[in-house]
Amino acid sequence: MLAQQLVNGVLLGAVYALFALGFTLMFGVLRVINLTYGFYFSAGALLALWMARQGAPIWLALPLAALGAGCVAVVLDWVLLTRLRRIQAPELSSLMVTLGGVLALYSALTSWLGPDIRRLPPDLVAADAFHIGEVRVTAAQLLILGATTLLVAALLALMRGTRLGLAIRAMAEKPDAAQLMGIDTGRAAALVSFISGCLAGAGGVLIGLNFNAIHPYMGEAMMLRGFVVIIVGGLGDIRGALLAGLALGVIEVMTAGYVSSGLKEAVAFLILVAVLWTRPSGLFGRAVLRRA
Amino acid sequence: MLRRSLLAVAVAATLAMAPPALAQGGAPIPVGAIEILSGPNAAYGTAIRAGLELALEEVNAQGVLGRKIALTVEDSAANKDQAINAARKLIGRDKVVAIIGPTLSNEMFAVGPVANERKIPIIGTSTTAAGITEIGPYVFRTSLPESDVIPVTLARAKARGVKTVALMYANDDAFSKSGFDTMKAAAEKAGLTILAIESFGSKDTDFSAQLTKIRALKPDAVSISALVEPVSGVLLQARQLGFGKETLFVGGNGSNSPKLGEIAGTAADGLLVGSPWFVGKDDPANQAFVTRFRAKNGRDPDQFAAQAYDCMHILADAITRAGAAEPAKIRDALLETKYSGVMGPFTFTQGRDPASTEGVVVLAMQGGKFGVAPQ
Amino acid sequence: MPPWLDDLLWTYQNLVYALGVNGLLALSMYVVLAVGQLSLGQAAFMGLGAYSSALMTLKLKLPFLAVLPLSVVVPVAFALVIGVPTLRLAGVYLAIATIGLGEVLRAVYLNVDLFGGALGLSGIPERATAWMIYGLLGLAMLALWLIGRSGIGRAMEAMREDETAAQVMGVPVQRYKMGALLASAMLAGLAGCLSAHVSSFIGPNEYGFEPAVTILSYVLLGGIGTPLAPVVGAWVLTLLPELLRGFSDIRLVLNGVIIVFAVLFLPNGLLAVRMKRIGARTAA
Repeated sequence: MLAQQLVNGVLLGAVYALFALGFTLMFGVLRVINLTYGFYFSAGALLALWMARQGAPIWLALPLAALGAGCVAVVLDWVLLTRLRRIQAPELSSLMVTLGGVLALYSALTSWLGPDIRRLPPDLVAADAFHIGEVRVTAAQLLILGATTLLVAALLALMRGTRLGLAIRAMAEKPDAAQLMGIDTGRAAALVSFISGCLAGAGGVLIGLNFNAIHPYMGEAMMLRGFVVIIVGGLGDIRGALLAGLALGVIEVMTAGYVSSGLKEAVAFLILVAVLWTRPSGLFGRAVLRRA
Repeated sequence: MLRRSLLAVAVAATLAMAPPALAQGGAPIPVGAIEILSGPNAAYGTAIRAGLELALEEVNAQGVLGRKIALTVEDSAANKDQAINAARKLIGRDKVVAIIGPTLSNEMFAVGPVANERKIPIIGTSTTAAGITEIGPYVFRTSLPESDVIPVTLARAKARGVKTVALMYANDDAFSKSGFDTMKAAAEKAGLTILAIESFGSKDTDFSAQLTKIRALKPDAVSISALVEPVSGVLLQARQLGFGKETLFVGGNGSNSPKLGEIAGTAADGLLVGSPWFVGKDDPANQAFVTRFRAKNGRDPDQFAAQAYDCMHILADAITRAGAAEPAKIRDALLETKYSGVMGPFTFTQGRDPASTEGVVVLAMQGGKFGVAPQ
Repeated sequence: MPPWLDDLLWTYQNLVYALGVNGLLALSMYVVLAVGQLSLGQAAFMGLGAYSSALMTLKLKLPFLAVLPLSVVVPVAFALVIGVPTLRLAGVYLAIATIGLGEVLRAVYLNVDLFGGALGLSGIPERATAWMIYGLLGLAMLALWLIGRSGIGRAMEAMREDETAAQVMGVPVQRYKMGALLASAMLAGLAGCLSAHVSSFIGPNEYGFEPAVTILSYVLLGGIGTPLAPVVGAWVLTLLPELLRGFSDIRLVLNGVIIVFAVLFLPNGLLAVRMKRIGARTAA
């Protein structure tokens, strides 16, 4: 049982990490508490659902849905936040505008598509479980694990090894200085939105596939855990998000498996509070950043 | 079968052509409903509204006391304050003579006292938690409380040789928690050994830890009290984790929805659930209801729609027998209800709960659809 | 009183109560934002006030005039306990930590029988009156306005603009932060007690993440220039869903769109007026 529980924990952790990747990037670089992130997640899943119903195979639906969610993210960022950036509005008004935005977007999506849960066509990914000893893993779960690993590697390569990554990191450190150094911060912001949107969309498809439940509010339900992961991992820290996600998944599963399932949810937040009380900028965060 | 659908078509056609003059004898009778029409739980409220509106067409084609019923459906967005505001608006401004709803038991605990204070009958169609009708003498419900249904289901499970059971429930909504309390008491009363009690959140999507733990204990049955979305998730993951035919799954009221088959597919096969109603129920009244519902809404009705449909008819019947559209008389007439609808014969107890449980049938999932469970 | 007026008042009674209660909650958010602290524990404090006062009424049968002042005890005690380690945090870290504490409390309500689990506490008698709610709201606004005009208000504004500079200038930053947190806990506790005693039912899901964000949005929409601004924000956001009732299914869409436009064109809040005293920029 312990082996299976550990696998359960790692898989849940991969789900959390997958959700958090784009979130931490957006949060860390653009320095805005952007509540629309969960919407890109839902949008990706719903786009993939629509394509799969038209007969598209998963290897086509997944990247297309991710790109689609990325475009949604760029448009929303432009509509909601460009004006506020230009007039250098207080940072909390960005939070407020995305709050109004998600309320409108989720409600519009719900009244358009209906609030029901939908499922992807059952034969999209083989449903059989693989046995390794007494441990069982499904194809969708392996897909999540693989995709998370791949995306983390790709993101790290982008951030560390390209000029673009350098520009994004410069922007995360000091936006004003970055602009003076000739970085087009407007374009970089759009790009970061696009990448985060793609990551969210891909996450939505894979997680929707794994739990087989796609509905307009699915992103909203992940937001709170997402916050825990990116804060514990350190804002903008991709490796931190991965580690914090995995740790959270394993701890939650172990708590439910060996202590009490009533504590499963509380334990995430107890850890969060305990981490922050001892390390005020997250477990893997570097310095206290003064940001509202 | 053919004759029945012909009959249904004929009924529908007659209704569509019914001369409006028939029902015009005075100002319409104002009736209110409070349901969740927006936000994440809107699926329940919209199903209920569809059932109410279908019944309303039929009622108004006949006329009530020579008048029509004007139904105002207000949204609560699953928010306590908005539900109270809606009730006060319906009673204070629209002067409704009765209210149907609200959707959730939690909302009824807040809204029930308001209607009761103004002596306006309020009838819950989907509020199954314990203690609802104890709010006051004007609070009714037409949904069978879980305590009437679950013992029947567990008795069937026992007859199939189940001796040990694990219980699972969503611990953060009143409906699921109350259903679990009933489930636990019923399992103890039936002499079943409870091997484990595991909870989860109603918005959770991962149940692997709880299921892995339960699987190691090898219970004969797993009994789940939650709404249909998490129940579907539990079943899908249970199959992934290797639960096979040797484990019997038992559901509470929340599992009785066509969505279970839509989401969980064949993973739900074999699940037992007790219900006064299911979509394939083979009597003319129900078949006509299902046919008309499909024609109007393009999908199958669920239990919430069926309960609402009956409730609207029960209320119209009570108003007719009361002889006047006055809340106090309607309340008295409701208590004397003897109605036969799609859920079967219906009367209220003196405690304003549904009286008869004879309509409860045990259903089993097969191929993603509910049918009467084999013995 | 003519019957139509009586009916009108009865119809909007809960809305009138909610406007007052949400006004108090907005002030509870305002006092922490006024010292530059993005602390989102208001919903949690409100829950503590609501549960503790409801239990005092239901189990101990205390009179409401005793329950109301006592309802601040638990929230304030909680704020004292969490204050020292939590107030070291800044910005979003503080925000998320306080949200996390709220979620921990929610788990406690769900798992401890005394609090009724998911069924919450029902049958709470209607004890609070509009006079009490608006009296307290008026008092709180007056007190905050007087503080805002005094030297303390100037120090608070300095902290909001630049905490390090304020500390260098001799402002006792930690003490002010703690004071603001305690005041916030007190106001939210009172609001919780009042709301529990006008709506007969309280449940654990009323004090989680979403309400915390809603309370924040009152202040963000209204602005933080004066104590009146957050109250106006609360009133607008409480009235909007009721005014949009006619639109049924799409009313939340309109609600969201209105918020977006309000923020895009009035990023400093609906009431961006500043107190007369200092000519500094009002920023969040």
